[in-house]
Amino acid sequence: MTDDAASDPRYSRQVRFAGFGREGQRRLASAHALLVGVGALGTHLASHLIRAGIGRLTLVDRDVVDASNLQRQILFDAEDARLGRAKASAAASRLLATRPDATIDAHAAEFDVDFYERLGARPDLLLDGTDNFATRYLINDLAVRDGIPWVHGGAVGSTGTGMTVLPGETPCLRCLMPSAPPTAETGSCETIGVLAPAVAHVAAFQAAESLKILGGRREAVTRGILHVDVWRGTHGIRMRDARPDPTCTTCGKREFPAIGVSSDDTVRLCGRDAIQVRPPAGTRLDLDALAARLALAGIPCERPGPVVRFETEDCRITVFAGGRALLFGIDDPMRARSLYDRWVGAR
Amino acid sequence: MTERDVYLDFAATSWPKPTPVLTAIQAWYQDVGVSASRGDSMRSQEVAAGVQDTRRRLARMCAMPPHRIAFTSGATDALNLALRGLLRPGDRVVTTATEHSSVVRPLTELRDPLGLDVRIIPCDASGSLDPADFERALAERPTRLVALSHASNVTGAVQDAAEIGRLARNHGALLLLDASQTAGARPIAVGADLVVASAHKALLGPPGLGFLAAAMDVDPAPTRFGGTGSSTALDRHPRDWPTAFEAGTPNTPAILGLGAALAWSESGEREALDETAARVVRELRGALEQLGSVRVVACPAGSPLPIVSFTHDALDAAEVGVLLDEAGIICRTGFHCAPWIHDAIGTASGGTVRLSAGPWVAEDAPQRVVEALAP
Repeated sequence: MTDDAASDPRYSRQVRFAGFGREGQRRLASAHALLVGVGALGTHLASHLIRAGIGRLTLVDRDVVDASNLQRQILFDAEDARLGRAKASAAASRLLATRPDATIDAHAAEFDVDFYERLGARPDLLLDGTDNFATRYLINDLAVRDGIPWVHGGAVGSTGTGMTVLPGETPCLRCLMPSAPPTAETGSCETIGVLAPAVAHVAAFQAAESLKILGGRREAVTRGILHVDVWRGTHGIRMRDARPDPTCTTCGKREFPAIGVSSDDTVRLCGRDAIQVRPPAGTRLDLDALAARLALAGIPCERPGPVVRFETEDCRITVFAGGRALLFGIDDPMRARSLYDRWVGAR
Repeated sequence: MTERDVYLDFAATSWPKPTPVLTAIQAWYQDVGVSASRGDSMRSQEVAAGVQDTRRRLARMCAMPPHRIAFTSGATDALNLALRGLLRPGDRVVTTATEHSSVVRPLTELRDPLGLDVRIIPCDASGSLDPADFERALAERPTRLVALSHASNVTGAVQDAAEIGRLARNHGALLLLDASQTAGARPIAVGADLVVASAHKALLGPPGLGFLAAAMDVDPAPTRFGGTGSSTALDRHPRDWPTAFEAGTPNTPAILGLGAALAWSESGEREALDETAARVVRELRGALEQLGSVRVVACPAGSPLPIVSFTHDALDAAEVGVLLDEAGIICRTGFHCAPWIHDAIGTASGGTVRLSAGPWVAEDAPQRVVEALAP
């Protein structure tokens, strides 16, 4: 397969592009990428890579398909949403229909250190299709520790960002952003929405970066951070000259705080159909900002004390100023973490 | 815990412990290390004397002979041993709506296999039991065992165990007293046939230890067999008390720690601390009743344990628990492993917020709780 990938008519137009060529196609055919998060960015990115001829793609996502996903998550259809299929396996079956010879490992699971260590063979590339910074920092720390390139992407509203990290060569996520603001304050796809073209733009950037890295053209990798706003029609690369920060915790001091974080940050409530999710110690949330975001999103919320309480996806969520949340009406810690990351995001 | 944290979860496990408890446990790890009755060393014999001292103190507390005190891994272990070891097919058991899961669950497991007839005595809105209900239930048909929680871990109601024991005896039934909440805080020598408690609650000892005490003519069948350090050439586990129930290496440091706790409690220093805890909880109850947004579970008559349970009009018990925790107040919310009581006290929807105190409770607890709950 590796030998004739470059001659396969399916890839002829891509091989004809001088920057990629037969060598790029051959390398891609034996490459393995791990895609964390198979949502909006993830479905676009997976589609690009499978169609481009990647040898092996590992998909991991803890969520199930919901009707509100269909506007931008291109590998799912109404039936997937009706059945609430796991995103990873729904995406895999669609991708295999496109390219039956591809090797696709689909995992309906939480991406955590244990998951990564159990994978066995290290992938050649890590891809960020997540919706939360806790997971992004984990990807960053694992990638820098193991010397694996990774491509960050994020989209919310009409805007998006993307960045490639070549460990030791370009700044890592923590160099440029030592800590992330809580989603409750900045907004998420849930609270301020997202336009599919913003997602597509960022995913296209991530896919192109992936082709350069996996096709053996690291010198062509974009230095700096992509910023796009599809509403305002702006697109640019900032901080092209940024260098790895020697004082950076992760790539400077080679400490990997996210790797030590246990994903055991949920607790089932005694005798209740409810789960508590807790953030790192010292977290403080601006509950007024969260309430304002919810109001903008048209989601009614209550303030029955120094808390914000609202309902979504058949779950009642109470958020506390210390960043903790109680999620009533669910008993699956993975789902609780998913909801927490999307709505509160202080982990 | 930080300096400013207020610990109000004493009914779950007591904290802090008297200093002699820490000293005794540390001394064992640091200087001793051997188990009692294992080997013939002087050191082992000295430890055996310490273990025997704890047994004697517990025996005095229960008004039982020292050799009828068997150490267990906790009250749960002791209750399982008593229920499994005593109940026979077709037995009738009278128990109560205030019981802890460590009675409810073993009985539930045994009910069908043994064809037990389990009669549950209801409690009132404060978690108190009426002995007249026992008299009626015992008159219905012959009963083998009355399993009674001496005090409710949800409301603090202390039951009239002496009267209930007298009724049981009149009807030829045994009384199994779960004194987990009361041992150390109230007299527990009330004439029960079997007494069970854990070391880590009001006895102020360490976790991982409990005991079963049984009167001379009451012999549950042992449920676990193994090494005893005695008669080791025999295949058969000895049947003499307490060895019959103490298979395996004992938790020696915990037993010595409990002995130190009992000695400290007997020294007289404790009374004033218990009175302070009772006063703090009375003030807490008063302060909570002043809050318009809170419904306090009815105060039991007589002299209840320093426990107050409440619900909030707008917040779930679990939500109140997080708010209190964020304010540095450690309490417990939910059903408190007492699944049957909540219908009677009107808290079946989400359980209660339970505040419970003991020696060395922070005296500003009432203000701290009110501040945390103020809108």
